[in-house]
Parts: sequence; structure tokens; C-alpha cells
Amino acid sequence: MPAGAARAATGISVSIARDPALVRTVRLVAAAVARRASQDEEFVEEVRLAVGEACALLVGQDSDARAQSGPVEVSMRLEDRLRVRVVASGTVAVSDPPTSDIDGVEPWALLRGLIDDFDITLDEHLTALTMSWPLS
Amino acid sequence: MDLSLETRHEDGHTIIEVGGEIDVYTAPKLRDKITELVGNGDYNLVIDMEKVDFLDSTGLGVLVGGLKKVRAHDGSMRLICNQERLLKIFRITGLAKVFAIHGSQADALAER
Repeated sequence: MPAGAARAATGISVSIARDPALVRTVRLVAAAVARRASQDEEFVEEVRLAVGEACALLVGQDSDARAQSGPVEVSMRLEDRLRVRVVASGTVAVSDPPTSDIDGVEPWALLRGLIDDFDITLDEHLTALTMSWPLS
Repeated sequence: MDLSLETRHEDGHTIIEVGGEIDVYTAPKLRDKITELVGNGDYNLVIDMEKVDFLDSTGLGVLVGGLKKVRAHDGSMRLICNQERLLKIFRITGLAKVFAIHGSQADALAER
């Protein structure tokens, strides 16, 4: 099978409960998908970090809020680019509460700085983070 | 890999050797350790991250929180980190200018 055909056929979706312990599992899957596209470990590491970061933001740290929320869904597709979409019900704060340890650190700074193609869609019921990387 | 924390005292500093992954799941353990040390009067901390495999913004938040805690007591927090993939995270978030980051324990302890 030509390499391009293999890429077009590659798509993985993972759905996790809002449990911080499960974010690592998603990072492992993301690294495996990235490694299918490239042997460049710097690229693999960037994808692992970005997908883990996106999941961590949507899983959240507030256990009370987590208990009332649905899963975090992650889909990864290897097409013309590696495209990743992370979706969860509810909206995510775009600034930190005053009591947060990350007071003064913009919570999205790492993702925005890490990825050229990164977008956040917030509506009343859903938060979606989309990101993509070119494939060499 | 889970998070490992080993603490020892040397040359007036408390060194926390961190190993494994600092993420949304494990970062609270590091935060609790820092809080415990500051509560015990250890205000000059060195966080050795040489054996850290992964760091996300939750981990960064804990480090920033720790820095604020020790500074409230006129203390200090120095980081040891020589892995480019972690240093990149500090640069992207602008925190490379906030923390004193050293390449080795000897360098971190030599600074006065």
C-alpha cells in the first residue's frame, strides 16, 4: 500500500472520563500516532505535549466540576496534516481564578506558543480545541 | 511513570530531586511537598528536574506557586534543568525569565 493511502486510512478517537490520571494514556496514544507520521522525535514530543496539555485543560482540576461533566473526546487523523481535535462539554475558563497557582500565567500560552495552527471554539455547551501540524 | 520526590538538605538549601512526569495528575504531589517544606521553614529550595520526563502547564503553575511561597519569606527557588524539551516550555511561556535555571546542582548551589 502506498504511504499516502496508509495515512488517509489512519484515524484514532479516544474518549476519557474527566480523570487526570487518564491524561497520560492519551499522551501515549498521541505519541504513537505522531510516530506513525514522522521519526522526528522533536515532532513526536511536541504532539505529545500539545495533546496532553489540551486534555489537561479540558479535564480540569476542579473535582466537583468534573463530577458533573461528560467525557473528553480526542480525535487524531493523519491526512494532509496531522489534525487533532479535543472536545468536552462545558466551557473552560480562559483566565485563572485569583486563587490559582498559575496566577499570572495565561493558561493557553503554552499551546499558542507551541503550535502554529491552534484554535479554540467556545460556545454555551461545548469547548473544542483544534490543532494541526504539517507532515513532511 | 509516576512522580518521584526525594528531598535532602545541602549547603543551606533544600534540594527536591524530581523524577517522572509532572502533569495534571501528579503536580498536586509536588505542590504538597513544596507547601510542606515551606511550612517547616525551608525557604531556599532547589528543584532538580534532571530526571523529569514530562512537564505541562499544571506543573509550571505549581512551580510558580512555589516561587511565590518562598519569596513571601524572602527565600529563593532555583531550578536545575538541562533538557532542551523542558527549557523550551519555560521559554514559550516566558517563565525562563522568572526562574533562575541552572544546568547542574553544583551551579545552582554555587550561586550566592
